[in-house]
Amino acid sequence: MANAIRTLADRPSAPAEPKLALRDLVVTRRTASGETITATDRLSFEVATGEFVCLLGPSGCGKTSLLNVLAGLVMPSSGEALLDGRPITGPGPDRAVLFQEPALFPWLSVRGNVELGLELIGVPAVERRGVAQRWLANVHLERWADAQPHELSAGMRQRVALARALAADPDILLGDEPFGALDAQARELLQREVQRVWVESDNRKTFLFVTHNVREATLLADRVLVMSAAPGRLLEEFRIHAPRPRDLDDVLIARVVSEIHALLMQEVDASVAREMAR
Amino acid sequence: MVDASKSAAEEQLSELALTEEEKLVLAKVADILRRIQFGTVVLVVHDGKVVQVEMAEKFRLR
Repeated sequence: MANAIRTLADRPSAPAEPKLALRDLVVTRRTASGETITATDRLSFEVATGEFVCLLGPSGCGKTSLLNVLAGLVMPSSGEALLDGRPITGPGPDRAVLFQEPALFPWLSVRGNVELGLELIGVPAVERRGVAQRWLANVHLERWADAQPHELSAGMRQRVALARALAADPDILLGDEPFGALDAQARELLQREVQRVWVESDNRKTFLFVTHNVREATLLADRVLVMSAAPGRLLEEFRIHAPRPRDLDDVLIARVVSEIHALLMQEVDASVAREMAR
Repeated sequence: MVDASKSAAEEQLSELALTEEEKLVLAKVADILRRIQFGTVVLVVHDGKVVQVEMAEKFRLR
């Protein structure tokens, strides 16, 4: 039956009101030597509710600065960063951030770490245990609930961080190179877990990850936004309509990876040439 | 015999005598092609049937 052809291009178009919107965002940061650097240069894009977007760019292109603005940790120099149409003025329970280092409290058990996140957003004590248990089971760590973080591998610790972030039921999960410090196998496992968790959230949760890993971005995202070298601007956008969980061997994925890789290499070469000319 | 009222494309199509199933596949592909300017379209075939159409669209933003 030809009607059984699965095409991923049939998804409804994005709702009129984006979840996140950046308008001409300029973020500057100061280096240790006191120099002011423009991290992102009049950056504009939107992320719809339930979208999985990866921002990809060479080191120093302002990805982390941008994510810090969305997390509410840094204020932009000019332009706007809007969440549900309102300017972001600080951190909030509607956004969870997954960092490269999982930042678990070493004196708390695995369960304690997840429960603390829930306590901070006011979940009553009687409910915390159950929610924490459910999320630990979801990332296959229920057997490790009473372990201390130092007893776990780096990949397991990052899974605890993922459970802690999602247990608080945020609308948005922001990731700053969340798998950057993991070995290849742990990374692959986490990539699969994140895809599964996002799919199971029924297009409700919005994920925005920044990374410089082309394969990771292509594997995970609905949309990959490729940034230029510093100061970061947007170069190209790739919209990927392929089923999940995705595989790097998939013809479409492999092709997009090679295209983005070529684009990034071009950008890196151009930026090296600019540096040499200075 | 060549029918002068038919275009080369129509000629080829009528020679192929497409099945309903094939027409549906082509309609899907045409629908995608009308929507994208740059990108890649992949047809996944299992046992002689197209089971999936994947695509990636590319937009220049600079």
